[in-house]
Amino acid sequence: MTEVLIKADSLKKIYKSFGDEVEALRGVSLEIYKGESVAVMGHSGSGKSTLLSIIGGLNPPSAGRIEIDGIDLYALSQEKRADFRREYLGFVFQQFQLIPYLTAMENVMLPLTTTSYSAKRKREMAEYVLTRVGLEGKMNRLPNQMSGGEQERVAIARAIVNEPPLILADEPTGSLDTKTGQEIMELFHELNSEGLTILMVTHNPENTASMGRTISMKDGRLCADQAEVVPLAACKAR
Amino acid sequence: MSIIQIALNNLKRRKTRMAFLLVGLVVGVATVVALFSIVQAMRLELGDRLDEFGANVIITPRSEGMELNYGGTHVSEVSFNVQSLTEDDLPKIREIPDGDSINIISPKLVGAVIANGQNALLVGVDTKREFTMKPWFTLQEQTDLAYGQKPGDLSLLDIPKDSLLLGSGAARAFGVQAGETITVNSRKFKVFGVLNELGAEEDGLVYGNLLVVQGLLGRPGEFSLIEVAAYCNFCPVEEIVAQINDVLPNGQATALRQAALIREETIDRFSSFGIALSGVVLLIAALVVLTTMLSSVNERTREIGIFRAIGFRQLHVVQIILLEAMMVSVVGGLTGFIVGNAVARSAGPFLAQMNVSVPWNTEMILPSVMLAAGLSVTASIYPALKAARLDPVEALRFI
Repeated sequence: MTEVLIKADSLKKIYKSFGDEVEALRGVSLEIYKGESVAVMGHSGSGKSTLLSIIGGLNPPSAGRIEIDGIDLYALSQEKRADFRREYLGFVFQQFQLIPYLTAMENVMLPLTTTSYSAKRKREMAEYVLTRVGLEGKMNRLPNQMSGGEQERVAIARAIVNEPPLILADEPTGSLDTKTGQEIMELFHELNSEGLTILMVTHNPENTASMGRTISMKDGRLCADQAEVVPLAACKAR
Repeated sequence: MSIIQIALNNLKRRKTRMAFLLVGLVVGVATVVALFSIVQAMRLELGDRLDEFGANVIITPRSEGMELNYGGTHVSEVSFNVQSLTEDDLPKIREIPDGDSINIISPKLVGAVIANGQNALLVGVDTKREFTMKPWFTLQEQTDLAYGQKPGDLSLLDIPKDSLLLGSGAARAFGVQAGETITVNSRKFKVFGVLNELGAEEDGLVYGNLLVVQGLLGRPGEFSLIEVAAYCNFCPVEEIVAQINDVLPNGQATALRQAALIREETIDRFSSFGIALSGVVLLIAALVVLTTMLSSVNERTREIGIFRAIGFRQLHVVQIILLEAMMVSVVGGLTGFIVGNAVARSAGPFLAQMNVSVPWNTEMILPSVMLAAGLSVTASIYPALKAARLDPVEALRFI
């Protein structure tokens, strides 16, 4: 775990809204190593989702620099960044974000749509990951024919189907009951033990138990970066 | 999974919206197809029925002439160096470059005669050609008809060489009826028939066989004028006139402004109206496509955000939207073709005010689909670009 995968340097993000400026990130620097599982904790508005979107190549920072696997993300053109996301990142969004008119299999194959793999190969890859997340009998179901836990598994399968080195998850258990949430966290743990790097935004402290490291954020700054969770009340922004 | 599959699945899912889009395209394409088919059928019908409209080119012998006026009063016309038209000129007319467009050539010789002691104008014609060209000439009386039998069709009758046809006015003036005898320049002729009254100068004329009249007037092989019925769907009659003038140095061809041309003008006006109407309907169809696709994009903001986040390029998003537009437009184009043809066939005769039969215009299939596709894709470019430019962060409400 010595090779740096994500290197963020003095990231700032300012949103302009009706003439007002809101500082969502006020100079965040961090390093995440290959194979790590990192939880980002913080209250609403602490900047954790903004940090995730910047690392995900979706949201250019107002200042600072971010490198993933040595690639300066925002030096790339928008279209190249799209290619980067397809090759390097797997997203697990809040509320699953599955395409409602596509089956589980088709949803999982989405990231492969624009690749040069054959149709047969795409199908094999999708079948493999759907089986991996425990949905072997439900591949042809539409999202509305599946439970929340199953939809989350489809979302995870979609994130890992293109075999990315990094998974970015935004409140993946937010829409699930406690038991299903625990099962999903176990699945993330398994994926991490297979070598995937996972960066997860959550405000559920229970989720941090299976994560190797927890970063706490407050008012757009990191306030703790360690293996143990720091109670947010005690967190002083650095 | 492919971009095409994504587009197709989305279309299947949004059936109502896509049906609305389809209706817009069908109405647009059907209007164009219907109007185009009707105008095309009208033009073909006009060509086929040219003989109903008479001659549209008249050839007279070339002459130098001047009008004599004195003190503003027309005194007389003086013609000199008059040339003549002869039998030899007829094949030359057929051989002009647009000769295929010439339907009927009807030469005639006109001369003054004494009929039953009165001055009269005698016209020598090839009766079948002349009366095919002028179907409004009909028989009121005919000689040797059995009781209850109706006079025949002039364009089909063989008029004997010893007989004449009289206009209704001439028959009254000479006091003769069908079957009686009339003396013209001391030669006796049988009155084959009397024409129905037209209310025109022709009512006072006497018609006879061209060869007989040429002999009677002492001008064998000569014509006073040649009438030509020509119709060309794709070339103006003026072109035919110019070509005739080139081959007949002894003749002077002139285009007549008559029924066929007036009818052509009507078709041109209908055609212009059709183009304007099609333009308006297509514009409305384009707006329907634009608004439908825009609202579809707005509805799919989150979905497009997902596509972008998982690695779809902006170009891929544009492809999805335009493919959807293209797929609907193929169905819309084909349906519009069928509906347009059906409308043209049923409403064509009423709209054209003409007894036209509109055929199934299969050569319009490809243009119909291309029109629909062009319209649909053009109107979808802005929605597609808007979709591609959506900020995925906002689309997914990441902030």
